[in-house]
Amino acid sequence: DIEDKMLKLGGVTPRLYSQVLRLAASCNIHTTLSTFSELKAEENEEFRTLELRSKKFVRQPARVMKSHNVVPPRYKRQKVDQDWGNVWPAARTFHPASVPLPVRQGYPASGQVTPDKWGNAELMKIPNFLHLTPPVIKRQCEALKKFCTPWPSGIETAAEQEKYFPVMVSKSTYLHSSPTLRDQKARIVTLRVSLKSLDLDDHGRDKLLRLVKNRHDPTTDCLTIVADRCPLSQQNYDYCFYLLTVLYNESMKTEPWEHEKEVADRERYIWEGSPSQAALQAIIDSNEDSTPEEVIEEYKKVVIDLHNEGEDEPTLSRYRDSVMKLVGLA
Amino acid sequence: SWRACSSLRLGHSLFSNGLLRGLHTTQAAHKAQAGRYRVTRNRSKPLTYEMANQPCQIAHRKSWNSWNTTSLYEGLREPETVVDDIFIRKFMTGTWHNLFVSEVIIKRQHNMIRIAGIVQRKIAARKMYFLIGYCEELLSYWLKCPVKLELQTVPDKKDVVYKYI
Repeated sequence: DIEDKMLKLGGVTPRLYSQVLRLAASCNIHTTLSTFSELKAEENEEFRTLELRSKKFVRQPARVMKSHNVVPPRYKRQKVDQDWGNVWPAARTFHPASVPLPVRQGYPASGQVTPDKWGNAELMKIPNFLHLTPPVIKRQCEALKKFCTPWPSGIETAAEQEKYFPVMVSKSTYLHSSPTLRDQKARIVTLRVSLKSLDLDDHGRDKLLRLVKNRHDPTTDCLTIVADRCPLSQQNYDYCFYLLTVLYNESMKTEPWEHEKEVADRERYIWEGSPSQAALQAIIDSNEDSTPEEVIEEYKKVVIDLHNEGEDEPTLSRYRDSVMKLVGLA
Repeated sequence: SWRACSSLRLGHSLFSNGLLRGLHTTQAAHKAQAGRYRVTRNRSKPLTYEMANQPCQIAHRKSWNSWNTTSLYEGLREPETVVDDIFIRKFMTGTWHNLFVSEVIIKRQHNMIRIAGIVQRKIAARKMYFLIGYCEELLSYWLKCPVKLELQTVPDKKDVVYKYI
């Protein structure tokens, strides 16, 4: 009999055994039918328990997730003298298992050390230059060398460059991190040329400056033409050169109506035929002693300066000295 | 400013019926509460480094999650990039269901988009490879440029916990 057996084993009461079997039943653990039916027969002698509330939720054992076989980190298989350029050929987010360095990043929490590279999002966020180590850069330079030619001889100095290549054309291209390549500012073309290299005479220079207005910089004597009216930079480049050609040709020509230029239109003061010349002549004629040449020349120069460069302290003082000498008071 | 802030309390006091009507007579100066987590009684809330550092620590102790040239002077396509970033983040966190333990990091270089992040090893490696290929392929079609995923895996999400509050 099971009862006797249980009592013999000692300590296991029928009630406890029935509880265990009931638990076993709820956990779907296999029990022999015979023992269960015997217990049930026994239980029928006692009063059946009335269960008003539903059975308490019996917590199932937590599902254990299969731990997947993980390959050991890559740095363990890397030789000390490996070619790093082959491990990290292009820009890549930091990967702690591939980089054999014990880097740390982050502000340490109180009582902790700086967070290490494993599971460190900060190290992943920042751009790294592991793909541009010095040996790799050297290798890339060596590879590019065959496309390079030496600087042409004969244009080493700036003066020579200005002499042989007086026109400078500049244009910008733009790079954005976006799917589109277009940037409207890339169509702008700037042409710079020094007027010295244009071989213009006085009239030509004056005419060019009138045509060009504020595109000429008097300090550097450079003409700057900016073209952005066409959609393509090639078209703007052609337009720049067209403008330069037209300006030069027009300034070399003399139109029939240019003789109508009046004294007020002159861009600078001309001594010949001016009232100051007539006045000086009158003074010279009225003077008994012949005035020396250099005094006349000096007065002429000073008056020209006064008109062209404006009235300021040095020009006025020079004018005063010159007049004193002319009149004979100095 | 905090000194110039004043508020009136109209109605009955707090103890009588619990109803208060407040009125700001100057500009409302509320406390900053963006990106800040409430301390628990038993220090049970785990925070990653990202969560532990508040938005004011960006560029001091924290870095940005999105890298592109749109916010530079005369950088183009800023609003479209922002919307694309929002879409990428939603897509990644949704496709990798409950697997991301860090923020999605988006880097744009030339015309490429490189997406990085830390992922738990809850699914098999083969499934991960499939998800990587799926994300790269579909995102490149939607965003019209090459997309590369550069993920890091971590055995358990406890490995990215920085501190408990």
